Amino acid sequence: MSGIGNSSKKSGWKNLGLISSIFAIIIGLLVGFLILLFSNPNQAIGGFKTILTGALTDGSKGIGMVLYYATPIICTGLSVGFAFKTGLFNIGATGQFTVGAFASVVVGITATKLGNIHWIVALFAAVIAGALWALIPGLLKAYANINEVIAGIMTNYIGMYLVNWIVKDTNALFNMLENRSKPVAPTANIPKALLDQIFKGSYVNAGIIIAVIAAIIIYIILNKTTFGYELKAVGFNRDASKYAGINEKKSIVWSMVISGALAGLGGGLFYLAGSGKYIEVVDELASAGFDGISVALLGLSHPIGILLSAIFIAYIKQGGFYLQLFEYSGEIIDIIIAVIIYFSAFSMIVRNFISNRERKRKVDHIGGSAQIPAPINEPSDYGSENEEEIREATQEEGGDK
Amino acid sequence: MDYIIEMLGITKEFPGIIANDNITLQLKKGEIHALLGENGAGKSTLMSVLFGLYQPEKGSIKVKGKTVKINGPLDANALGIGMVHQHFKLVHNFTVLQNIILGVETVSGGFLKMEEARKKVLELSEHYQLAVDPDAYVSDISVGMQQRVEILKMLYRENEILIFDEPTAVLTPQEIDELMNIMRDLAKEGKSILFITHKLNEIKAVADRCSVLRRGRYIGTVDVKSTDKETMSEMMVGRKVNFKVDKKEAKPKEVVLDIKTVTVHSKQKGNKKALVHDVSFVVKKGEIVSIAGIDGNGQSELVQAITGLIKCDSGSIKLHGEDITKKTIRYRNIHGLSHIPEDRHKHGLVLEYTVQDNLVLQEYFTEKYQKGGFLKRDAIHENAIKLIEQYDIRSGQGAVTTCRSMSGGNQQKVIIAREIQRRPELLVAVQPTRGLDVGAIEFVHRQLIAERDKGSGVLLVSFELDEVMNLSDRILVMYEGEIVASLKPDEVTVQELGLYMAGSKRRKA
Amino acid sequence: MNPVYFLCQQTMLFSIPLLIVALGGMFSERSGVVNIALEGIMTIGAFASILFINTFQDRMSGQPLLILAILVAALAGIIFSLFHAYASIHMKADQTISGTALNMFAPAFAIFTARQIQGVQQINFNNTFRIQKVPVLGDIPILGEVLFQNAYITTYLGILVLIIASIVLNKTKFGLRLRACGEHPQAADSVGINVYKMRYAGVALSGILGGIGGLVFVIPTSTNFNASVAGYGFLALAVLIFGQWKPIRILYAALFFGLMKTIASAYSGIPFLTSLGIPSYLYKMIPYIATLIVLAFTSKKSQAPKAAGVPYDKGKR
Repeated sequence: MSGIGNSSKKSGWKNLGLISSIFAIIIGLLVGFLILLFSNPNQAIGGFKTILTGALTDGSKGIGMVLYYATPIICTGLSVGFAFKTGLFNIGATGQFTVGAFASVVVGITATKLGNIHWIVALFAAVIAGALWALIPGLLKAYANINEVIAGIMTNYIGMYLVNWIVKDTNALFNMLENRSKPVAPTANIPKALLDQIFKGSYVNAGIIIAVIAAIIIYIILNKTTFGYELKAVGFNRDASKYAGINEKKSIVWSMVISGALAGLGGGLFYLAGSGKYIEVVDELASAGFDGISVALLGLSHPIGILLSAIFIAYIKQGGFYLQLFEYSGEIIDIIIAVIIYFSAFSMIVRNFISNRERKRKVDHIGGSAQIPAPINEPSDYGSENEEEIREATQEEGGDK
Repeated sequence: MDYIIEMLGITKEFPGIIANDNITLQLKKGEIHALLGENGAGKSTLMSVLFGLYQPEKGSIKVKGKTVKINGPLDANALGIGMVHQHFKLVHNFTVLQNIILGVETVSGGFLKMEEARKKVLELSEHYQLAVDPDAYVSDISVGMQQRVEILKMLYRENEILIFDEPTAVLTPQEIDELMNIMRDLAKEGKSILFITHKLNEIKAVADRCSVLRRGRYIGTVDVKSTDKETMSEMMVGRKVNFKVDKKEAKPKEVVLDIKTVTVHSKQKGNKKALVHDVSFVVKKGEIVSIAGIDGNGQSELVQAITGLIKCDSGSIKLHGEDITKKTIRYRNIHGLSHIPEDRHKHGLVLEYTVQDNLVLQEYFTEKYQKGGFLKRDAIHENAIKLIEQYDIRSGQGAVTTCRSMSGGNQQKVIIAREIQRRPELLVAVQPTRGLDVGAIEFVHRQLIAERDKGSGVLLVSFELDEVMNLSDRILVMYEGEIVASLKPDEVTVQELGLYMAGSKRRKA
Repeated sequence: MNPVYFLCQQTMLFSIPLLIVALGGMFSERSGVVNIALEGIMTIGAFASILFINTFQDRMSGQPLLILAILVAALAGIIFSLFHAYASIHMKADQTISGTALNMFAPAFAIFTARQIQGVQQINFNNTFRIQKVPVLGDIPILGEVLFQNAYITTYLGILVLIIASIVLNKTKFGLRLRACGEHPQAADSVGINVYKMRYAGVALSGILGGIGGLVFVIPTSTNFNASVAGYGFLALAVLIFGQWKPIRILYAALFFGLMKTIASAYSGIPFLTSLGIPSYLYKMIPYIATLIVLAFTSKKSQAPKAAGVPYDKGKR
């Protein structure tokens, strides 16, 4: 799992990452097109066009809606991506999203006397709740060495059932007729910040700005601070970090907590958007968390990449709404996204493949300089000794000593 | 001549390097043939070619005079070739018997028939005096027995050609003698043995002929009886090697490390045995103290207790008079302790980080490299430029090279540079030369002696007895978690040291 | 009916699919491939086989139709699982990511296809598969009532799968080699075992059993399939871990989790449980909480296959 978060300072790698993401997107769209073609050949071209451009059908409203849909998945994408960068696979983002959403809704419904800061307090509650929910897999990982993927899956379900249970059993929260939570107070809705003027008729609000700010903060933490240096070091190599005097257990817990806070923020932003969203009491996991995995993978776990890929996914989802016109079900979009993730999982291989070739070429040019090909996909049957040997041999070629 | 295996003109290239360059190796029936070469000389690659794991670009392989094509371990096995790998290929939660039959199971209708296999294994075990318990789990048996299981695996497959890859690295001198006897017996029975090593003494003791590789090239084959060690070592390294390390007499000063009755228990449940038991000793400034012993006798745990990676269960550790038993790793790091760890990939480096980031692994948070929680990138870079120059660290893109892409020797230099420039009062070095070639080994040895001469205390843990004998001013021998002897290198022989290491002799310090 | 018998029968209905799917997951993980795609595999297996029943139920019914449907489920499961195998084994992809992708793909594909074919996403079927009473065996006191009345052949299939799975894993050449690949693939490779092939076999078995498990889950509990197996694949993963990757322990875990599920769904009908006043949500949560607790206590000496989740690099090809 450690491979996901790898980012090299070398500029070439970023381009390769971009290529592999685009490769995954193209294959995803191609598969989508083939399915359209297979199920209804006459409409396929029109349907496919709609996927690509449907979001623009209603002009600025469409764009506004794309930004609205992008907002929570930017957060869950940052959540998963941040965890990737620090060596963790936060599949539990879904549960943290749900718990965060719940906390914001509770504050949004009950704390009606807060006035102007009501929405801020509600969002804050979402962040805290998400962070606390991620604390469970974080502590289990750090102190009992339990795989965070397993713990994440378990806490997803526990969180979902817990939220449903409390919503259903609390009269103040539960709308029995609709089997969902009551609406939050108007003061708990996130301000529009004039965005409703620019994107008339859409649900977009200041949440998108908050999400972008979160991305910037995450970028700074990861790349500019000693805290980020520590978290990444622990993610790459827990033992070496311990050796270096970093409290590696604390770092793992912090990584999960920050990741959970981001997912919780996403939950808050989604349910406080004033768009008529309620917590439905059904035994189903929230999809925003899983979307976060695709966003993070496509965005190569880089905050800016995550912003772009979240907008892309929101964009084709928005296009999907218009597909009914062509007698297609909107689920085709989910199929496309699933295919994109599937190929993102490979594309790391594509990336390695390309970078191996690049290295090889470079070596040929310089001709036995100290540039050493790291045998990423080289034969390694003999395990590390042999890898070592290859490296050592190269070193000799380089005239080391 | 009656060759059982001939590898003729083998050339194997990897991107950017030639691992085997026109290598010829001829093994006679019934002989013990040594394959000598340094780390990185191409021995493992050549064996991978023989086992069909790699296909060579050029050259051919003949078995019993017939040219063969080997596409994988199965083909090699069918030709009667077997191998004891340096790192045993045993499944830890299988029994000895299961491990031996894996891949050549006797079945009836898909069901395993273990009884016949057991009978055959017991017969072999008796015939060759390779004592094993067929029903013991591999995770429960000693390293020596694991090696016997590996040998039985080959015999069970009725292999005629037996390859031993660095088989003595994990054994005591006495166990080594025992292995040599087994090898001689096997050769007497008509088996042909290829013995891969870089230890000249062992070649002299057991081999008939010896082929030498250097930097991927074939240097020659010699008759062991009529060739002296110096010649062979010159063939291996390419120049005269001075086995004695030049160093002046030590001038020990005040005590820098004072260890009193340190005990460390196993953290595994149900294992009450003390890994380190009641250990006491001192290291003074200006001396090199070595801890000799077979791997797994508590050296790693002792070092981890000193550096803070694990907690002591009792006893005290003092660093220049200050009790650091309960202090954090970081506290020790910034109070004069440096540590060249045993496993550079596991502990020493964050391989995905760049050279410059790795060079500040214990100091990134200090005033020098940090302000208000933000990293001072320029200072980190300048530090790297300085050390790269000073220690001749070679890498593709200098300070911003990712450490994973560097050679083992240069990775080790990064660690040594980092640990030494922190001006330690105590330098703990564990297996600092593992996997390095002779040139790099000499570099490391010079650095350790230079540190000593600058007035640091050096605690060296090594499994290489030559290294221990050559570098140390004092030798402590560890056996089953205890210090069983404190010796002067010029007052003890390697054989004697071996007896202490095997626990058959002890002299309390 | 006696509530105890009712509870036992219901528990069997919930436990058997968990058992089958978890045993499938066991083969995959013990070969060295982590399979969180079980949920998706179940969904696809259930989708294909229920669609099959829906299409052919006018022409046939009862056990023959069910047996054919089981074959369809197995086939769909194996095809779908091969995508996971290909990504994990040949492409050395991250196994969790690949599994997540397949879990997202399955319900979307089921809904899309169902709508495309019949307009709505629910696929209805007539349950003609219940066996009122097995002759002779059904008359055995207690046991007969629990196991051989109002039963499905899938229950017996589950028990059969358990027996075969434990024999195959522990007593055969295939099982020995499979386990070696999951623990120490280099060792397996060094004695000429094709690690890739064994891992494909492990994942394919998880596909067969996962697909069947999807069908087995849907048949007794519903009269339609709505593109979801309600988290049962993840629950089966929990069963696998709770059962420490061993067949018999997996049986116990499946029975325990099945009982919890039964109580959660049926407790309002059982006076004793309603009088306890424990909300059904707690019973729903217990399996997951229990798994976390078990993990917390066993992680130090976990029986998880050592090489599970680690792509094996064969080097050549």
